[in-house]
Amino acid sequence: MSESIFGVVGLFRSADELLEAIPKIRTAGYSKLEAYTPYPVHGIDQALDLPKSKLGVLVFLIGSLACLSAFTFEWWTSTVGYPLRTGGKPFDAWQGWVLVMVEATILLSTFTAGIGMLFAFNKLPFFGHPMLPSKAIASITRDRFALVLRSESATMDVEAAAAALSALGAESTEVVPEVEERTPGIAWWLRTAVAIVAACVVAGSGTAWAIHIYPTVKPMVNMEVQPRLDAQAPDRFFANGRGMQLPPAGTVARGYMPILAASPDEAGKDLINPLPVTAQVLERGRQQFNLHCAVCHDRLGTGKPWLDSTYQAMPVDLQSAPMRAAADGYLFWVMSEGIRTMPGYAADISQDDRWAIVRYIRALQRSQDATPRDMK
Amino acid sequence: MSIDSESVSYAHSSASESMIYRRPGILWALIAVGGAGVVSSYFLEGPERFWANWLVWFVFMVCIALGALFIVALQHITGATWSVPLRRAPERLAALTPWLVPVALIALFSLPVLFSWTQPGASADPAIAMKTSWLNYPFFIARLVICVGLWVLSYRILVAGSVRQDRTKDPQATVRLRRYSPIFMIILALTLTAFAFDWISSLEAGWYSDIFGVYLFAGAVTSGIAATSLLVIYLYRRGWLPGVTEDHLYNLGGLLFGFTIFWGYIAFSQYLLQWYANLPEEVFWFQQRTSGAMEGVFIFLGIGHFFVPFLALISRNDKLNWKRLRWVSVWVIFMEFIDVFWLVSPIEGRGLHLGWPEAAFAIFFLSAGLLIIIRATHMGEDMPVGDPFLGDGLNFHLR
Repeated sequence: MSESIFGVVGLFRSADELLEAIPKIRTAGYSKLEAYTPYPVHGIDQALDLPKSKLGVLVFLIGSLACLSAFTFEWWTSTVGYPLRTGGKPFDAWQGWVLVMVEATILLSTFTAGIGMLFAFNKLPFFGHPMLPSKAIASITRDRFALVLRSESATMDVEAAAAALSALGAESTEVVPEVEERTPGIAWWLRTAVAIVAACVVAGSGTAWAIHIYPTVKPMVNMEVQPRLDAQAPDRFFANGRGMQLPPAGTVARGYMPILAASPDEAGKDLINPLPVTAQVLERGRQQFNLHCAVCHDRLGTGKPWLDSTYQAMPVDLQSAPMRAAADGYLFWVMSEGIRTMPGYAADISQDDRWAIVRYIRALQRSQDATPRDMK
Repeated sequence: MSIDSESVSYAHSSASESMIYRRPGILWALIAVGGAGVVSSYFLEGPERFWANWLVWFVFMVCIALGALFIVALQHITGATWSVPLRRAPERLAALTPWLVPVALIALFSLPVLFSWTQPGASADPAIAMKTSWLNYPFFIARLVICVGLWVLSYRILVAGSVRQDRTKDPQATVRLRRYSPIFMIILALTLTAFAFDWISSLEAGWYSDIFGVYLFAGAVTSGIAATSLLVIYLYRRGWLPGVTEDHLYNLGGLLFGFTIFWGYIAFSQYLLQWYANLPEEVFWFQQRTSGAMEGVFIFLGIGHFFVPFLALISRNDKLNWKRLRWVSVWVIFMEFIDVFWLVSPIEGRGLHLGWPEAAFAIFFLSAGLLIIIRATHMGEDMPVGDPFLGDGLNFHLR
């Protein structure tokens, strides 16, 4: 016999007959068996002695690896690469990483299960299974149960095998030849790759062309299209072509007069608080102080910050003797321009509010150092 | 406290005959010793510790009993046939339900001792003042009576109906049970949530977590499946469940595995949200349970209640192995107890207490619970022989 043989097929009438035949044919010396049935048959895995699928192990390994990678990624970025304090939590707060670890594990496990099953274990793409051109296949997909004795060598005694199957109750037998080139070659892979690229090009250019001809229809443009210039946008109205113009030299915004004094001491001598001491001013000062200053200087001005110790600043105690002695102008200047690690607040707090804060600081200092006269 | 005299007197198999009163004397002795320890702990160690322990065991008992009832109802509601041969196990475990009545009534006396909302001046706290329409003695007691009453009623309907079917062989009984099961599911969802809020959350009445009822539910079902598996394996090993194979045990292992993941998911969801938001009125609850002596319990809980059963049951071979399933079941029940202990024990100012009173409570409740379950083997056959789907269930094959 010139062509190689895939195996000898015997067709049985029921699943029970097939299950009974398997151990008997095994004792007859045929060990390489395959079964084809129209529906899943209970017990056939054990009867054929099929090896346990390795897919579970692979999924577990890849899943664990994904979990570990996600952990390493999160740990490195959060603590080494780009440590960023979020919500007052420690850099290495693992709780927030768990979601990413779980998602990565599930995603990679699913991919491994799907792709691994199709390509690694089922060996797809896979053309021309030898059973497909056989005569038996029509019955197998309908109501017959096939047992295949695979040929273990080139010199299989097909007559003996067919006789053994018939003896066990096989309705009919058939010798199925092997099919050449069952897996695709390099040419097939190249063709497939070219086809995928071509499909992408066609779909992409088609979409671009469609958008060009039929621009996206917007249901409502009222908010998006407005008769004004966007920030940083060009404009031909002005000679320099800019939409945003610089203010004329010497312009001063209302409430933000620049301070001419060069140092806090100079300011202490030159500047006087323009605001009267009224309940309204003190209330405004209290509100602004608690908003901007209290986070470092404390609500009483004691300089004990509410911030974490990792902040490492040592704010000045506004209740200390030098601060009590300092002039209004001194405090105003420091507030505006900043001193040591404290930034200037001139851009954030208006001039009047800064003076109101000075009034409020005075009130705070007096509240912590009251004399008997104040009690009257 | 058992089903009804008619079904109890009905023929029980020789298998359960040999199981009943195998060592009744030892159990009774243990109950007496444990009971004496329990009572004396009240006088020697003070009422607070006594009531905290009582509450732990009350909640734990609710978890096992309702977990078992849930499995019974789940089987009816899904129409699963594979579990029909095993159904008597959760039905017998559910015999703990009627005994919840005395335990719950006694637990009511813990209200003025343990619960923050019963303390004088509690309503000065605006968070508690807002909840006074829910947290007050009459409504609280009414809720407990309704919850336990509905559980006992559901137990009588679900289990007595099934046991009676052994004799009558009436397929209509299965139809009736399948009709009642969805109703029970709704009752369980509402009552268990109310129970979790009342008996655990309200210990520190300022705290709230919407997911808490689901958390207790997840633990209850996990431990219910574990207890069911233990009972099934006990009968299976002695050959008293003819026709039940490893494939049935595999499904129990699969359910245990699935609900372990569900518990982990719910537990971490609750923890992550409150940890992240870091709101003082919420996070103090976790702070008490993750710091000091409770930190070790917290870590042990995370590893023991999730990772150990997860890794122990992950492979198919593990779930087919009854020895593996047996020790995982014992472990899961133990971890559910640790979970309840972790929830109830660290109420304000109370550290981790482990000593002879805890041991006495464990001896008393474990031996009493075991006696209840052993006596429940009176109930009907070892398999629901009257269920029309028993044959299908016995023919179940995994492979």
